[in-house]
Amino acid sequence: MKKFIIVFSVIILLIFTGCSNGGNGESKNHADTTRDELILAVGNEPETGFDPALGWGQYGSPLFQSTLLKRDHDLNVTYDAAKGYEVSENGKVWTVKLRDDVMFSDGKPLRAEDVQFTYETALTSDSVLDLNILEKVVVKDPVTVEFHLYEANSTFLHSLLTLGIIPKHSYGDQYAENPIGSGPYKLVQWDKGQQIIIETNPNYYGKKPFFKRITFLFLNEDAAFAAAKAGQLDMAYIPASFSKNEVPGMVLESIQSVDNRGIMFPYVPSGEKTDDGKDIGNDVTADIAIRKAINVAIDREALVDGILEGYGTPGYSAADGLPWFNEETKFEDGDVNAAKEILAKADWKDENGDGVLEKEGLKAAFTLLYPANDVTRQSLAIAVADMVKPLGITIKVEGKSWDEIENLMHSNAVMMGWGSHDPIEIYNLFSSKMAGMDYYNSGFYSNPKVDEYLEKALLSKNEQEANEYWKKAQWDGKTGLSSKGDAPWAWLVNIDHLYLVNEKLNIGEQRIQPHGHGWPITDNLVDWKWDEK
Amino acid sequence: MRMIFSFIGRKVLRLLSLLFAISVITFILISHSPIDPIQAYIGADMMRVGPEQREKIAENWGLNEPPAEQFFRWGSSVIQGDLGTSMIYRRPVTEMIHEKFLHSLALMIIAWLLSGLIGFILGIAAAMKKDKWPDRIIKGYCYTLAATPTFWMGLLLLMIFAVWLEWFPIGMGVPAGVLTENVTLADRISHIVLPAFTLSIVGVANVALHTRQKLIDVLSSEYILFAKARGEKGFTLLWRHGIRNISLPAITLHFAGFSELFGGAVLAEQVFSYPGLGQATVEAGLRGDIPLLLGLVIFSTLFVFAGNLLADLISFIVDPRLKERKPV
Repeated sequence: MKKFIIVFSVIILLIFTGCSNGGNGESKNHADTTRDELILAVGNEPETGFDPALGWGQYGSPLFQSTLLKRDHDLNVTYDAAKGYEVSENGKVWTVKLRDDVMFSDGKPLRAEDVQFTYETALTSDSVLDLNILEKVVVKDPVTVEFHLYEANSTFLHSLLTLGIIPKHSYGDQYAENPIGSGPYKLVQWDKGQQIIIETNPNYYGKKPFFKRITFLFLNEDAAFAAAKAGQLDMAYIPASFSKNEVPGMVLESIQSVDNRGIMFPYVPSGEKTDDGKDIGNDVTADIAIRKAINVAIDREALVDGILEGYGTPGYSAADGLPWFNEETKFEDGDVNAAKEILAKADWKDENGDGVLEKEGLKAAFTLLYPANDVTRQSLAIAVADMVKPLGITIKVEGKSWDEIENLMHSNAVMMGWGSHDPIEIYNLFSSKMAGMDYYNSGFYSNPKVDEYLEKALLSKNEQEANEYWKKAQWDGKTGLSSKGDAPWAWLVNIDHLYLVNEKLNIGEQRIQPHGHGWPITDNLVDWKWDEK
Repeated sequence: MRMIFSFIGRKVLRLLSLLFAISVITFILISHSPIDPIQAYIGADMMRVGPEQREKIAENWGLNEPPAEQFFRWGSSVIQGDLGTSMIYRRPVTEMIHEKFLHSLALMIIAWLLSGLIGFILGIAAAMKKDKWPDRIIKGYCYTLAATPTFWMGLLLLMIFAVWLEWFPIGMGVPAGVLTENVTLADRISHIVLPAFTLSIVGVANVALHTRQKLIDVLSSEYILFAKARGEKGFTLLWRHGIRNISLPAITLHFAGFSELFGGAVLAEQVFSYPGLGQATVEAGLRGDIPLLLGLVIFSTLFVFAGNLLADLISFIVDPRLKERKPV
């Protein structure tokens, strides 16, 4: 038996060394820049197919359909199938004017009826699209459509930006498999569970894409990496843990995101219970001095370097870098002395010399929960606990399942992650109206001034005005929901999204990506081309 | 002949009670699982899907009714031949199983034949050379295989043959970016080699070791001694007096191994991104898609049951001793 083991391991060794010599040749695929085809593995298969009414295209470009509005690479709002929009005085009626030259890939024109049909279908599809604010859609003339909302809401804009328009005349059970639309590409073939092949739509009204045919492989991150190593891909999405491995012929693109992680603190003292009996509040984290001290003491750069391998940015809010982010809310962190001062001013003292602060008999100790299957959140939680220990604050770190966290999240700090291109997120996280509703504002934060700004932001008639209020809600000079104000959260980092990209492929200017790695990179697919040199 | 009918009749009864028990147990397990299907469906869109919309989704999926009622509704439509609609894919479960199973079937048949053949030959070779070096190597090889998780073996093969040597594609059932009409049979074969080989490994050790043991028993029997005394030896001896005796445990075992084949396929398909039942099962389980998971459970029960039934039938036909024994 022993002999056998030796023989076997020698054979294995031979195979391995033999292979590492053989595999260095660069695949022919990479060098060739005359081809106008690409093969990408950037995301999972959309299970429900390519029907926008069931959620297709919410992240990245809908490819086959066009939206009414879109964002450019600076995230400014521009027009796609629409040529203008207006919001009524009370904010409840949105009138959108359509371009009259938009054609579906089957040659029929896009008209107001199609827009009406799209939104009505999406409203009743019981999918991830929440359009419940929409009362009705009225067709004024073939190129004018009115959206009537139950109440004013400036974030309805997001629906206009993301919902692809479906042709009324060709919608049916098979639509998700055979999408027809007015987008830059049309679907040629879908091998379920494996890949889609798309080609340019000759009827597309916008900029013609350089690449005539693109194949998307539906591989998980490990398989995508293996395929990239085997030289079979022009682009692969990879997790940070693979970032150290070099792949010949490919470069690592690190794209900034608002895919953030932060600590949610229970904002109110303990005592209350929710209707279904969950505890609300935590006496330690209800003290603003504790929250502020933690915010100031954390060294965010160190978290990015140590835990994210440098692929990330320090996080200061739920919306870093987005048009509604208030730049003033950034602050100097990693300052243990300043944090100590804050605590001392608030009468937190270590009276019995055990290294933990006390105030009126209360120990500065609390539990921080994280989802047990998420290594990044676990590392962040442990690192933060270490960083605040010198202050005399003890954080007990505990991994739980989301179901357990749901029961404990109103009374314990939780390591959460958000990040959306829709500012409604700010409202849901910080409005007192949303306190305790599912994962929204689970710390029961409330500040009447902030509430006022948030409501005003919703009631705004255009994005600029809304953004002013979103910013004021974060910090208006006196108060706000940011770490400068009430500090109901300690935001930590934004995680970069990593892609291995063919070194000759130019993917243009990438915008800041939302929570959700993968598809968002297709946003500017029409701008991709080979590098000239 | 009448015996075969009564045999089948009893089996059908057993199958029905098995199916019933399995679906009840599965349903109870899923409804007590901590997975919230709505949460799993919404995923990262959590912040943009309000309570009202969640309510609508739950209603659409029939999750608002009490579990007993859900099960009853599901059960009565199953009796009428309708397995329901998958929650995450929004397509009829029957259609999905049909589509995915066709992919898996080719994979499983190839793997099954391969493992049976290789295992049988290895087993014979080992027994013929008992305690000599071929036997020791084969035994060692089998113990290693039996202790090797399928997915690990799959990853190893993937690294060696797909990533380093680039002999085979890294996964999927068809080449990337090629239209269906241009996909050749050779393409399909090159895509199925690695997953089928990985999957075949599951069965080899089992069949080989059992065949080996049986043949050793046979070889030490008196009728072999007698045949040897008459001057028969080597392959002729094996062919005349051994094969029929030793093929029985191999066949029974191999048909009964359908369950392992199914389990192995889940892992092999996962590693090679192969679009079969395995991937669908993993998705359905992780995301609490009740109709799809129940459909798959019923289907796999049928599949495994069919394997066992075939094993019984074949031993019934091959082994005259079983025929003579009168059923009570």
